[in-house]
Amino acid sequence: MTSSFSQIEEETLFPPAQIPNEPVGIGLRHEHYQDALETDLNLGWLEVHPENYFGGGTHRHYLKEYRKKHQLSLHAVGLSLGSDQPVNEEHLRNFKELIDIYQPFNVSDHASWSASGNAHLNDLLPLPYTQESLDKLARNVERTQEYFGRKILVENPSTYLAYQHNEMHEDAFMNRLAEMTGCSILLDLNNIYVQAHNHGYNAWEYIETIDKRHVGEMHLAGHIEEEFENKDGDTTTILIDTHNQHVKGDVWDLYEHAVQKVGVVPTLIEWDQDLPTLETLVGEADKARAIIAKHKEDLPNAAE
Amino acid sequence: MPQNNSIGEIQDSFKTLMLDHPDALNTPPTTIEENFIGNDGTLPARLKIYRNNIIGSLTDVMRATFPTIEKLVGEAFFEQTARSFILHNPPENGCLMLFGQGFDEFLKTFEPVQHLEYLPDIAKLELALNKAYYASDDNSFALHDLAQIDPEALNDLKLPLRDSVELIASNHQISKIREFAISGNDENAPEINGDEYLLVFRPQLQTEILELNPDEFFILTQFKDGKTLGESVLETLEKHPEFDIQAFLQKFISLETFSMQDTNR
Repeated sequence: MTSSFSQIEEETLFPPAQIPNEPVGIGLRHEHYQDALETDLNLGWLEVHPENYFGGGTHRHYLKEYRKKHQLSLHAVGLSLGSDQPVNEEHLRNFKELIDIYQPFNVSDHASWSASGNAHLNDLLPLPYTQESLDKLARNVERTQEYFGRKILVENPSTYLAYQHNEMHEDAFMNRLAEMTGCSILLDLNNIYVQAHNHGYNAWEYIETIDKRHVGEMHLAGHIEEEFENKDGDTTTILIDTHNQHVKGDVWDLYEHAVQKVGVVPTLIEWDQDLPTLETLVGEADKARAIIAKHKEDLPNAAE
Repeated sequence: MPQNNSIGEIQDSFKTLMLDHPDALNTPPTTIEENFIGNDGTLPARLKIYRNNIIGSLTDVMRATFPTIEKLVGEAFFEQTARSFILHNPPENGCLMLFGQGFDEFLKTFEPVQHLEYLPDIAKLELALNKAYYASDDNSFALHDLAQIDPEALNDLKLPLRDSVELIASNHQISKIREFAISGNDENAPEINGDEYLLVFRPQLQTEILELNPDEFFILTQFKDGKTLGESVLETLEKHPEFDIQAFLQKFISLETFSMQDTNR
């Protein structure tokens, strides 16, 4: 019997899953596979989208190599937790297989929907902040947690459309989801900044409202501005969460505020399009680390 | 006005709008107009951000799977073709690695490329390469495994193909057209017509394409269909009297073509 490369299922070389001692990580994309293997990364952890590793194949070979050296977070984009239909069973099964093999310290997806009937729209689409919506989202989060046999984290989204009939603010919606299901909140600071601009929230108040006991991870990414005319001929600016550039200054300020309020939790630099060099990504991670270091002494739960 | 649509109705209506023609965004249905903020005239522009995200991200997935098609028809035309495919065949779940299945059949009926008869088979080849890349890491059947088999049992041996293996027959020179397109070299354009028999597989980490002789293709197809070694050899010899089974087994077992599972030993 010839094995093309050693059987992943028999792998026992991974360090046991734990919240990383070094709190800052980066998203690993396949363009950086080789660089990341050849570089001694000064990072606590790596994040990947599980959907890229379903089934098998060459990607998994690389993932195994990184997992030997780093803690891992599996951050999904395909569960469609907010859909008016149960989470896809096959998706859950494939996801669970990865969790069992690669032993991530965190597993997450978003407070959004993508699937309706047989079509998966491949974007994180907005939910109304109503009791009906909360109940449906909570049911899918519970179903996912039952299937995985563990808690998941749910991320606050970036949206470009708001519903007319919201019954609560997004921050309260996220708190209630965590209370109802026991899930943790994945606090994306760039998304909060984008939401604040697009829908007239106060980003700082959002962070004040979020129950810090529920926050298990933070994300940072870049966004762009898009302008268009409204019917009065005035210009409306919308921020779009593009993950294609450096984290903006205002978002760093918001992160600093969140670190002071919540404490140190694993923090991710996300960059998914127009990828920079690995060095640039690590440079962004260094900025996050510097902010954590600056406040380490007066933090509620300083990580050392 | 109170909300009178359920979440399911709103999501269904949103989906239909996203997969409709682009002008539909300018006159969104009541379900969308009554449930979203945007009466300052920005609703169509906001909807367009989502439509662009959806179609753009799925087009990127297809671009990664079909680089040859994109080279052959050009970037702008590829986008238009991919968009049409996406709107008619949106992905069914959030696992997009194999998204694009059926693009070969779609190209056969897509009017603007009807004159490019080889295009569907190129798409089939690129789908096979993509599938091989993501195929599971099953164990291959090795020469020493063959040596352990009781000679009397050889006749009934089954040699299933590994997950990564695909067989493609075309009456166009698709692998040569692919090489030409990807090389970006304008000289030495290959002949378009002519039969090609191909094996697509992934022996280690990289996918590979191997051109087969007609007899090799024939017997591999027999194995794929689940026939035994005995049956397959007999049928192959009938069509290809010169066929040499020993040389064949030596070559293809060394290439790690066969799966260890279900060999019926």
